[in-house]
Amino acid sequence: MTLARRRFDALIIGAGGAGLNAALQLANANLRVAVVSKVFPTRSHTVAAQGGVNAALANVFEDNWHWHMFDTVKGSDYLGDQDAIEFMCREAIPTVYELEHNGVPFSRLDNGKIYQRAFGGQSQNFGGAQAARTCAAADRTGHAILHTLYQQNIRARTHFFDEYFGVELIRDEDGAILGALTLEIETGEPLLIEAKTTLLATGGGGQVFRTTSNAHINTGDGMAMALRAGVPLMDMEFFQFHPTGIAGRGMLITEGVRGEGGYLINKDGERFMERYAPTAKDLASRDVVSRAIVTEVKEGRGCGPNADHVLLKVDHLGEDIIAKRLPGIRESSKIFAGVDPAVEPIPVFPTAHYMMGGIPTDRLGQVVIPAADGSEQIVPGLYAAGECACVSVHGANRLGGNSLLDILVFGRAAGQQIINNLKDNPEHRPMSEAAIDQAVARLTRWEQSGEGISVRELRDEFRKVMEDHAGVFRTDEIMAEGVEKVKALREKLKDVRLGDQSKVFNTARIEALELENLIDIGMAIVLSALERKESRGAHSRPDYTERDDVNWLKHSVYFKEGDRLDYKPVQTKPLTVETFPPKPRVY
Amino acid sequence: MKFFVYRYNPDVDTAPHMQEYDVEVTRGMMLRDALMEIKRQDEAFAFRHSCGEGVCGSDAVNVNGANLLGCTTPVSELKEPVNVRPLPGRPVIRDLVVDMSQFYQQYRAVKPYLIHKDALPEQEILQSPEDRDKLDGLYECIMCGCCSTACPSFWWNPDKFHGPQALLQAWRFLADSRDQATEERLDALEGPYKLFRCHTIMNCVESCPKSLNPTKAIGKIKELMLRHSI
Amino acid sequence: MSRQASGLRAWALQRISAVYLGLYLIYMLGHLSFNAPESYEAWRAYVADPGVTFGMLLFATALLIHAWVGIRDVLIDYVHPIMARVGLLSLFAIGFIGCGLWFAKVVFLAGVAA
Repeated sequence: MTLARRRFDALIIGAGGAGLNAALQLANANLRVAVVSKVFPTRSHTVAAQGGVNAALANVFEDNWHWHMFDTVKGSDYLGDQDAIEFMCREAIPTVYELEHNGVPFSRLDNGKIYQRAFGGQSQNFGGAQAARTCAAADRTGHAILHTLYQQNIRARTHFFDEYFGVELIRDEDGAILGALTLEIETGEPLLIEAKTTLLATGGGGQVFRTTSNAHINTGDGMAMALRAGVPLMDMEFFQFHPTGIAGRGMLITEGVRGEGGYLINKDGERFMERYAPTAKDLASRDVVSRAIVTEVKEGRGCGPNADHVLLKVDHLGEDIIAKRLPGIRESSKIFAGVDPAVEPIPVFPTAHYMMGGIPTDRLGQVVIPAADGSEQIVPGLYAAGECACVSVHGANRLGGNSLLDILVFGRAAGQQIINNLKDNPEHRPMSEAAIDQAVARLTRWEQSGEGISVRELRDEFRKVMEDHAGVFRTDEIMAEGVEKVKALREKLKDVRLGDQSKVFNTARIEALELENLIDIGMAIVLSALERKESRGAHSRPDYTERDDVNWLKHSVYFKEGDRLDYKPVQTKPLTVETFPPKPRVY
Repeated sequence: MKFFVYRYNPDVDTAPHMQEYDVEVTRGMMLRDALMEIKRQDEAFAFRHSCGEGVCGSDAVNVNGANLLGCTTPVSELKEPVNVRPLPGRPVIRDLVVDMSQFYQQYRAVKPYLIHKDALPEQEILQSPEDRDKLDGLYECIMCGCCSTACPSFWWNPDKFHGPQALLQAWRFLADSRDQATEERLDALEGPYKLFRCHTIMNCVESCPKSLNPTKAIGKIKELMLRHSI
Repeated sequence: MSRQASGLRAWALQRISAVYLGLYLIYMLGHLSFNAPESYEAWRAYVADPGVTFGMLLFATALLIHAWVGIRDVLIDYVHPIMARVGLLSLFAIGFIGCGLWFAKVVFLAGVAA
């Protein structure tokens, strides 16, 4: 088989906010950049982000990046690296202005400045009064940003490979990444893309769980590709459950609803967050609110015929605010929950939402393999940004409004660093046939036909196992069983057969490749979770209820080879300011 | 519930056909859920979908003659038997998957990006809430293609007429107080084809799943063009 | 038909002509209802009035412009082979010009005889 090949200065896999912001930097610098995306770029999941992007612009209340940094460190339950967090909070401000200059239709204040709303976990003056730091375009901020970035990439004439699936990274003996094997979905033909640098920006993998706010496409492809290329994944046990998904369906109701003044009630009509977080109440950090909701339901104070959810009350805000600031969630509530939030409260329950962990990178987006002594070894030619990466700025729990910020700041930083790096490495490295064959084998494996388990069957089973064994509350027993079950499913994967062997737009083949990816990252999640014997941020254990800063103020690092776990110290030293030492986290 | 679904796989079929499926309807089932159930029954069935909440715009299909989004259409609202076909007027790649490249090309042709010529301020470019309100009903487009593929003028001249989606976006930038390329944009829309194939049939308005109004936007472009030419 | 002008100009002309056609039809309807010429001679005298002649000629011009833009739209939409389109456009153009000239002749002759 002769493999079609293309050559570019830079290859970006994934066309969400991180990928497109990096591509924009590169294309503006007149480099040849290829963006590979398994869906048309504006279908990427950044489009679903609702609430907004954090930046201390101080348009509404007094604010500065240092307060933002404090909130982020505290929100991370002190597991975030403080150098990266300082970088992100500082960069937030120029990043948002740049977005605005690029055309994002932000909502506006009367003085013409960008509208900023209150979001969970935000404070003024290091834990003081509520801040308003989240820049919003109504409740469609992700949509507005993604479309704008795509539009700017059209202007910059970025080369897009739409509906191409990233199959496998190609690496040489030194471990340097030389590009990737992709699959053109429309024709079913493989295409080898050689690149001097490769950026993974493939987003999260919420599809590991059965009930999720994540799109069908969020299958952690980049993380799994990295794992198979010998790169570990960091802090995978930290999976955020967003407190307010539409009950039973998982679609998200933005935290912005509570930011605008909405609040949660149980079946007695009690505003129960006052008990769990007396100060911040409904705007406490997401892990806190999610656990509160699950506790209310567990203790029999849930609403509805099955007492399996709580209610989000909004109607007191009035028709005007709802129409102006929350038009999208009103539409979603009507369609998916059958309620108009201007009249009735919305039934909500936590939904799997966001991966704090991912491919370890430095703050320039370069992928690094961490060692226990705190040193880091750069993987030549490989970058990662966005939800698939772990810088780590979110630590054990991400604050609302910091995910759009993460993808934009680090997408941009990765783009800049790639530009610098290409100056020193102007040539393509040679690619060996053996390396290519290894990647192609991943495709040919699915050409085996005959009797076997179906992709659907295994996928359904796997997602159920993950939900049952790595959900909001985690005990040793439940998770140990989970590890065994995922291992068994991983074995079963060998017996999965594809019934449909046709070439043209074969979505079954894509789902098979995605299933392999899901199981790889599922394993990283359950193993990392089982081993972390403390409760921190989103990782909550009834058998180890306290945070343990003596033994566990460190990042978990999972390697696929031998299912090995390693640990790396948290970077507690910021770039220019004083360290925020760990403190009890109360809201 | 009975579904008749358009099936065509160029690898095996010589001609398209409608295939019957029976789907057990569950409470709150959306059309996308039904299509996923059909894929469960028949692995070889292909359709695009992703977010499941009407923001990514992947799963636009033609159902009982009307273009709509699978994920925001409750099956309870559909008349049985449900006929599901690919979006009309576009070349079929496989089953419900159509080739949208011409549609995307028309979008690119309207220069759908902000052009600001003055030096940029250190902070945001100011915009009054009133000016920002003018973008409502325009920027929310999810590029699902329901409108343009429901437009007879786009069926007849998809290579030359921009179509409602692209024209809505053309107006989105003309209406933006920060944009400084009004003259160029208007000049580029001149001629009998790009803009003026619109005969206000209004299928676009009828079919938009986000309740946007491309016809109104097209009217505003014509009005602005007239004002700039007299 | 310059490529640059035929979009907006055609569209504007179609609308302006429509306004005139509408107003003229209302006027004509009123005139015929309340003050209809009763004989052939009366008709000729009415048409011979310079104001009426001008109004009628303008009506014919507006009608033809309106029809031309409309027909051109239909042909652009439905007739794609270029020779067929040019042929049909020419046919309609000649037909419309013929109609216009014939109409002018009728109106002017009425004036001459009076």
